[in-house]
Parts: sequence; structure tokens; C-alpha cells
Amino acid sequence: MAQYYPGTSQIAQNRRNFSDPEYDLEKLREISDEGVVKVLGHRAPGEEYKSVHPPLDEMDEPDDIIRELVEPIDGAKAGDRVRYIQFVDSMYFAPAQPYLRSRSYLNRFRGVDAGTLSGRQIIEARERDLERISKELLETEYFDPARSGIRGKSVHGHSLRLDENGVMFDMLRRQLLNKETGKIEMVKDQIGKELDEPVVLGEPLDEETLMKKTTIYRVDGEAYKDDKDAVEILHRIHVSRSEGGFCPE
Amino acid sequence: MDIEVFPHRVLGADTTEKLLNGIEGLDDVKRTVLQGPKLPPADPNEDPKYADRGIIIVNGKEIELKVKTGRIFVEISNESTIDDIREVCDEYLPFGFDINIGKYIRTQKTTSDNIKYGDADIPDELIGMTDQSAKLADRLTIIKRDME
Repeated sequence: MAQYYPGTSQIAQNRRNFSDPEYDLEKLREISDEGVVKVLGHRAPGEEYKSVHPPLDEMDEPDDIIRELVEPIDGAKAGDRVRYIQFVDSMYFAPAQPYLRSRSYLNRFRGVDAGTLSGRQIIEARERDLERISKELLETEYFDPARSGIRGKSVHGHSLRLDENGVMFDMLRRQLLNKETGKIEMVKDQIGKELDEPVVLGEPLDEETLMKKTTIYRVDGEAYKDDKDAVEILHRIHVSRSEGGFCPE
Repeated sequence: MDIEVFPHRVLGADTTEKLLNGIEGLDDVKRTVLQGPKLPPADPNEDPKYADRGIIIVNGKEIELKVKTGRIFVEISNESTIDDIREVCDEYLPFGFDINIGKYIRTQKTTSDNIKYGDADIPDELIGMTDQSAKLADRLTIIKRDME
């Protein structure tokens, strides 16, 4: 059995759940395909996928054993462009965080490129696959409308205090709380271009649920130092790396 | 003496307005500085219903809000005023806040100030009210107290 993450805490268990491709993530909300396309902002809803090369079937490719072994993903078969979606996760108990996203993306999805930074995380894939993946990311536990942001640019805000209504700071104000419905609406696409109609992302999760679902160790939640098992493994890795790198001969 | 009001969440325009009106209503408050992440300038192409309100009214004076309020520095002279400020904060900041005592607004001219203003005689109250890269007029609003 694959061992994804050490630790006995709930957070460690959540991290294992995300990283395990066999684990079915809980679906928390419904977002239409059109909504996802609008949020991404790479093409207008209903528009044809632009391509960068002819479909693979029509291309005369050289004989290669790897090409026979690896089944291309749909977007690659059709010759789609490579597009992206980027997430920002608040330090205030967001369900996911960049390192975990990368780990789990690479375990769960084929044909993707994941890029990790301290406050944001980008995933690149062929356009139609990206849309499928984005829908999954937005509808499942990966995402909370208030504590996670979909931000192609101007990502600043993950380490700031939350807004007074509990939404993460965003200088472009893409995700807004609609006070009448209590739901978060995406009024701009991920790079901040205004949408004709807001895309409803659903209600934010309450604090208690977030504390249960989060994958972030915090002193005011579950502290890392209290997860003895995880700390022990970390120490072991640290010691083996130091000694291995030291090369004492 | 200065105090810092540190709300546990960053404040929107409405709460900032109410809070400032409460604080500025106190007699002992001399100077107040708002600090926080800067907001982008108003975009004429943007639908105004999505933009945060830019103008707040404090003691009858219009102030353009250029930052998202993260901290508020207040200069006072009596320690007892802190309790009054705490009362105001209790009312408008239900999510919690800290009040710290210290020196938050500088009172001496710096080298940057000398380069910027030269030998011009700057009143003491204006020193430390903005950072060296901004124009004083862009950041400062003087609210006259009702002297009745």
C-alpha cells in the first residue's frame, strides 16, 4: 500500500485522503460546465477549442515504443492549447494548500504540470482536460468559496487576515459575498476581467467544517508538534538527509 | 502616547467609517493613521456595484479610503482614553481585536523628510503622517474639531 503522509492527526488523515487517488473526495457544490469555462476565462462558453497542432490521428508520428505504451489524454489527442488554473489558499484553515495540491494533482490527474509557490498553486493541462479537472477541483473538498481563491494574477492575500465577512483578501475583488443569498459569487474571471453574469460558487463552509477538513497545521487548530508521528518521520528524513549529504569519509 | 488597534479581520469601508467616527468623536484623540493593504485606484470600466466604497465620511468630512483597513494607529494623551476606544471597538468589531500601546507614529523628521521638504517648517502634527514615497496631500485629511 502506498504511504502518502505520516501522522495520526485529522490533518494528516486529510492529507492522505487528498493524495490517495483511490479516495473519493466529497462533492460539496454544483457548478455548471459553462460556469467553469467563464471562471477560467480562456475561451467563451460554446466556443470551439483552439488547437496548436492537428489531431494526433492525422499526424504522421515516428515509431516509438513510448507512444504505443502511453495513451494520450483527450486534449492531446485533439491538439488543444495548454491552459491553466491557479488557486490561492488562505492560511486561515483553507481546505487545501499548495504543496498538498501538487502532491495530490500528480497522483490524481494524468498529463498535467503542477507549479507550486508559497501562496499559490498553478496547474497546466490541455484545455479540455483542464476544464474537466477544474470542475472537479471547484466542486469537491479542494475548494472553499471564501478561503480559496481562483486567481490567475494579483494573487496577494493568502497570509492576510480575512475580510470582515470571512472572505480572503483579494485586491481585485473577484469573489464577493452576496449578503442576500449568503453565497459567494465570482464576478470576474480568474485574471480579473468582469463577467456578464456572476458565477455562483455556493455557500462558504462554516468554521467548524473547515477545521475538520483543513490540511493546514496551526497552533490554534491542530498543532504540528502535537502530531508526534509526523514529527518523528520529519526528524528521520532530516537526519538521513543531513548525514547522507555530509558524506563523512 | 500612541496605541494600535489591531482588528482580527481586515475592515471594509462601512465598519471603518463607523469605527473612525467613534474614535474621532473622543476629545483626547489627536491623530489617527489607517494602515493596511493598498486598494487599486478606481477603475472607470468596472461595474461600480462590485467596487468597494471609496469615500467615507468622518465627522462630516469626506475622506477617500485608499487602503483596506488593517490597523489603526491613534495618538492620545491620557491612558484613560484607551478604555473609551476599547468600548467603541467592542461595539463595531465583534470578531475581536487587540489594543497595543507603543510608539506608532513618528514625531521627528527623518532624512527622507529633509530631502522631501527641505528646510520648510513642517508643523509637528504633520510629521509621520505618511510614508516618504507619498505626497502629504494625497494621504492626509485634517478634520477640524467642533469648538463650541
